Amino acid sequence: MKNSHRTLGGALALAAAFAVTAAYAAGPRQSVGKGEGRVDIVAWPGYIERGATDKNFDWVTGFEKSTGCKVQVKTANTSDEMVALMNEGGFDLVTASGDASLRLVAGGRVQEINTKLVPSYGKVDKRLQNAPWHTVGGKHYGVPYQWGYNVLMYNTNVFKQAPDSWAVVFEEMNLPDGKPNKGRVQAFDGPIYIADAALYLMTKNPALGIKDPYELNEDQYKAALALLRQQRKLVARYWHDAFVQIDDFTNEGFVASSAWQFQANILKSKNRPVATVVPKEGVTGWADTTMMHAGAKHPNCAYKWLEHSINPKLQGDLAAWFGAVPVRLEACKGNKLLGDDGCARHGLNSFDKIHFWRTPVANCKTQGGKCVPYYRWVSDYIAVLGGR
Amino acid sequence: MTAAVAFEEVSCAFGQFVAVDRVSLEVREGEFFTLLGPSGSGKTTCLRMIGGFQFPTRGRVRIHGADATRLPPYARDVNTVFQDYALFPHMSVRDNVAYGLMVRGVAREERYRRADEMLELVHLPGTGARRPAELSGGQRQRVALARALINRPRVLLLDEPLGALDLKLRESMQVELKALQRQVGITFVFVTHDQQEALSMSDRVCVFDRGRVEQIGTPEEIYDRPATRFVAGFVGSGNLLEGAAARRLTGAQGAVMLRAERIRIEARRPGAVPGVVKEVEYLGAFIRYIVDVGDRTELLVNTARRDFALGAEVTLSWPEEACHRIPQGPA
Amino acid sequence: MSALARSLSTTLYGRRGLALALLLAPPLLWLGIVYCGSLLALLANSFYGLDEFSGVIKREFTLKNFVELAAPANRDVIARTVGMAAAVTVGCALVAFPIAYLMARYTRGWVRAALYLGVMLPLWSSYLVRVYAWKLLLAREGVVNWMFAEAGLSWLLQGILAVPGIGGPSLSISSLGTFIVFVYIWLPFMILPIQAALERVPQSLIEASADLGAHDAATFRKVILPLALPGVIAGSIFTFSLTLGDYIIPGIIGDSSLYLGQVVYLQQGTAGNVPLAAAFTLVPITVMAVYLAVAKRMGAFDAL
Repeated sequence: MKNSHRTLGGALALAAAFAVTAAYAAGPRQSVGKGEGRVDIVAWPGYIERGATDKNFDWVTGFEKSTGCKVQVKTANTSDEMVALMNEGGFDLVTASGDASLRLVAGGRVQEINTKLVPSYGKVDKRLQNAPWHTVGGKHYGVPYQWGYNVLMYNTNVFKQAPDSWAVVFEEMNLPDGKPNKGRVQAFDGPIYIADAALYLMTKNPALGIKDPYELNEDQYKAALALLRQQRKLVARYWHDAFVQIDDFTNEGFVASSAWQFQANILKSKNRPVATVVPKEGVTGWADTTMMHAGAKHPNCAYKWLEHSINPKLQGDLAAWFGAVPVRLEACKGNKLLGDDGCARHGLNSFDKIHFWRTPVANCKTQGGKCVPYYRWVSDYIAVLGGR
Repeated sequence: MTAAVAFEEVSCAFGQFVAVDRVSLEVREGEFFTLLGPSGSGKTTCLRMIGGFQFPTRGRVRIHGADATRLPPYARDVNTVFQDYALFPHMSVRDNVAYGLMVRGVAREERYRRADEMLELVHLPGTGARRPAELSGGQRQRVALARALINRPRVLLLDEPLGALDLKLRESMQVELKALQRQVGITFVFVTHDQQEALSMSDRVCVFDRGRVEQIGTPEEIYDRPATRFVAGFVGSGNLLEGAAARRLTGAQGAVMLRAERIRIEARRPGAVPGVVKEVEYLGAFIRYIVDVGDRTELLVNTARRDFALGAEVTLSWPEEACHRIPQGPA
Repeated sequence: MSALARSLSTTLYGRRGLALALLLAPPLLWLGIVYCGSLLALLANSFYGLDEFSGVIKREFTLKNFVELAAPANRDVIARTVGMAAAVTVGCALVAFPIAYLMARYTRGWVRAALYLGVMLPLWSSYLVRVYAWKLLLAREGVVNWMFAEAGLSWLLQGILAVPGIGGPSLSISSLGTFIVFVYIWLPFMILPIQAALERVPQSLIEASADLGAHDAATFRKVILPLALPGVIAGSIFTFSLTLGDYIIPGIIGDSSLYLGQVVYLQQGTAGNVPLAAAFTLVPITVMAVYLAVAKRMGAFDAL
């Protein structure tokens, strides 16, 4: 009850919270019945495709035919939008990233999933089955959907050899073409990017004692901000929209940046000289989980979708479409759209080097419960972007 | 002496429509000259060509002898009182009046002093600080006058300035305007469609119809000896007799104008024209009879006394000189 | 039934106040509850705090948010946004005035209709599409840069872009670019009120000014401009407030410096710091209130 107040104010929120807690108290479902005829999903753009953009990418039509559940999709462009939509209610499922999933759990917006009702759950990549961004107190609050990493994308005309460190975007230097990197590198404009700076510092300055880039004490946090302020002088524009970054690399002469594999795939398909690399410091990444709303009106169809969402065909097709990695390893082989090297290209073998997005909280393990919470990351990153 | 304003064969067309058609006229220095005509007759266009708001499509306009045909308004020694007064709503009355001095760079103190003088002249002392919107119609009219006079133009143009005023005010303003003109001694060119106004104020009147000058003359000439049928009909109330009726009643050939107030109406007078009263109108200062004199001809008769009732048999007579033969011009 | 209706209508006729109240109740309720209610909720929220440790909202009165507003980084954001809004307003007025003047005084019939359409047309297409289109136009590999190069004026563009504060590596990555796109996007909101104000200036006033000896420039300065000013102010209310609240354009064009709208979005959405976000939203509201008060004094609403 206390937690359910977290992001809301006013009477409306109170009413919603009562409704939510009522459903929350009921515990996980024990059976899946007949479908209700529809299911409402909040998803990232491109996550639920019915062949409208490209006929090859359709993992909805077949599901609707076999289950009779009509799929309604509401796309959201940021984790915050997803949280806001789920707070509003009226949806059954959401494809939440790690920086949203725990907020949804803590806010009581999503219900516990009975993994027994998702028959293929046991075939999900073992490393993800109990991942901390959807498993709280031994309870599962979702089914892993897809994951990917934030790689270093670079221009192959400028870098004849792949850069091996994030230093090219953090430190002022001349790039291999002899010209300075100032004005030619980019960084992500979300506060979560502070973790990327912390990750770089983990290797560069071990004395700081950073164990986890999402768990920073005051000193570590200050060091990360100092690094980002230094970076601000190099970065003329930050990116937050994949298509804006694609345009920046095409028309503005940017040559190195953190990016998703998605941008690199599209740029390559347009014969742009780009490639990606996982630098020695490691990378941050995102892992998305399909979660069910605490007040879902169509739970039976929702459970049917959860099972459908991890079938190998869908997983392979989606990975190819989005530049991501399937949560079922057998999807990596024999998928025409993805190709047999697709999973490797999208980061499958870098799993151990990936620090997946999590919402930073004050009460952290590695720094003795004295971490800087996320709301401060937001204020301070705003200041960094403003040149403070 | 050169004319204050001279038109030489001036035409002005708007597309296909010819508003002013080969007009020639001369306004003498210091006179009160009125352009009279029904709406759309071209009188206002003529005024606007003097002011410089409209350029002639043909012909030449001279002001004090100098060619002003295509001179912009601000380069003419002429000022205008507009029909809607055109006072600047965002300025005080004083600033409105002083506007002409301000754009000439006269210092504020000097121009306010002279503006107050002008307001005095038009009998509006002490109103300088107000906004035009706070004044009555008559007061606004005076402000417009003061504003137009402050530059001491040699010619003042007035575009139906009294049209928006009620009758009483209009009559007193007529007297005042005439007095003002005598006082300041500059040429006034006045546009009106009200023949009464034109006759009472003007030294000379120019009557317009369909873009052409019908007649130029003193009010007496215009009234007593109209040059054309149009002038006869437009100015004053008269009887225009033509053809057989004219021959029978006046013995004249062609068109004859017989003013209604020159006809005597009596119960019986030997040798007079007999007729029957068809209509009696009481018009305050006089009575108007409409008398049927046969041949499907009716005569208007204005007289001071109400002696006859509807249907009465009467006789009409008039002195020889009351009949004015209208010259045979182009019909 | 009809007797009932008649007696009802008679009752209402006799009590005009009652009829009026019945008619006005729904919109007033809407305004009162939804509009004022949400504003009050916002106001209330701005006085709540956030628990430092857990990030949970504490419903206790505090002025901490307003203290935080005054932090240098946040002051920067406010100054940057208000400065941009003011610059955009001036820019819009300078560009819009000649266009509005042309429309009001020199066109009629189908030419004016075509100009109207030209001004309004962009409003019918997606705002996002237009902003993205401008990103391409202003890009380093874009049309504007190319045109400068073709005209042999690259040095000029580079010179402008080298000015600290407004410049950057390319127009689309500079505050100048943000400014250009803001001016373009809000231009119709400036043109239309100015055009309406100019149209209401009677021709005879302009003739009277010329008649009294004023050249065209003096007539413009002394008569046309003062009479069009209410339209300019009405337009500036639109451009100023729209720029204050926008969070899309600076996200796509510019050097990633944040503006008020973006910060509210970030604080509310990403950070879950609703109280601070609420405090931030009070900034444009306050700025606009002051602006409107000044505009009212200058007579902007007399012409509405």
